[in-house]
Amino acid sequence: MKTNGYSRTAVILHWILAVSIFFLFISSWWMLGLPLPTKEIQFRAFPFQLHKNIGMTLIFVVPLLLYVRFKHRPAPVPSSHMKPWMHKLATIDHIIVYVLILVTCISGYLSSAHTKWDTTLWWLVDLPRVAAANDDMNELFSDIHLWAAWGLLAVVAVHISGAIYHAFLNDGIVRRMMRW
Amino acid sequence: MTTRTSENNSATGLAWASALGVVVIVLGIFLTAFHSNEAMKQAVLVNYMPESGQLPAAFCPEEELEEEGLSLGECEYMATHVEGLALSTPEWFPAVQIWLAGIGALLAFISVIVGGALVNYKSAANIPAVVVFGGLLLIDAAQFAAVVNTGPILRDIYLWNIMLWMLIHLMMLCGIIAGRTVSASN
Repeated sequence: MKTNGYSRTAVILHWILAVSIFFLFISSWWMLGLPLPTKEIQFRAFPFQLHKNIGMTLIFVVPLLLYVRFKHRPAPVPSSHMKPWMHKLATIDHIIVYVLILVTCISGYLSSAHTKWDTTLWWLVDLPRVAAANDDMNELFSDIHLWAAWGLLAVVAVHISGAIYHAFLNDGIVRRMMRW
Repeated sequence: MTTRTSENNSATGLAWASALGVVVIVLGIFLTAFHSNEAMKQAVLVNYMPESGQLPAAFCPEEELEEEGLSLGECEYMATHVEGLALSTPEWFPAVQIWLAGIGALLAFISVIVGGALVNYKSAANIPAVVVFGGLLLIDAAQFAAVVNTGPILRDIYLWNIMLWMLIHLMMLCGIIAGRTVSASN
């Protein structure tokens, strides 16, 4: 039987994803203003490791959310609650959000993988190097990471606008993702 | 005439609670990230700053500058900026700020849950909402007081945004109290 809202797991994953994405944006703006690293100047070490770890974790969280989301589909939104163009926009926006999260995280990892800096997964496991240091590849993936992140911010703004619009209408659509 | 969207019945929930709830959720997510970053910022600056408070000469090779899109002046300033922050930060400030930002992050995350309960309108959400919004307001007030007791550089960085959050949390608190009053009188 289809329920009115998303499953609790999907709801929890959605909000963890939301907080993580905002944290990644805010912390990245700050950490890129820290002095470039040397042996003596290590301000960037912790924030960069944390940034990479959260990003790599999201690479797994997004497919998990999608799996849960499609395994437990909520009942469709009544057509009286949403105009067809809005429904189309919401669907397209969701797809772009998921794609851009993955592109941002994967390109970030690949950019880092082409630098001399190693990554320790949550300070527990040293990840093996997947590529030799290569400035051109680092720059390429770094550009993809940057532009995908800006794009993500734009589509997230559309996503949030839609949520606020429906909450102000009080039509019950937002409630589907607010089940604790 | 009432429309479907402005009805205040149990099927759709209360309009004021839905509107307040979604604002609380969006701001709560942003604030969780903001406070967490602040806690990390203070911890990193304290732990990686040499005891002398002086950094060695900034490392600014040309290829790094090109990669980061920085001028030499900007690269040197980034090190000077951190030194300036250390210079203008009283010894007690990072620990206080880490505690306040940590509690703030926790309360902000709880506010997301409270916001969800408001959107779903559960009357049991009223009291926790007052407590959480009041708690966030107290954190802002404590941060404001802490920053006022630092110096002009930190005041310039922090005071305006703490004041903005104070106003937001004050509005949220007034909103939930007014909403409760309206619901009670109905």
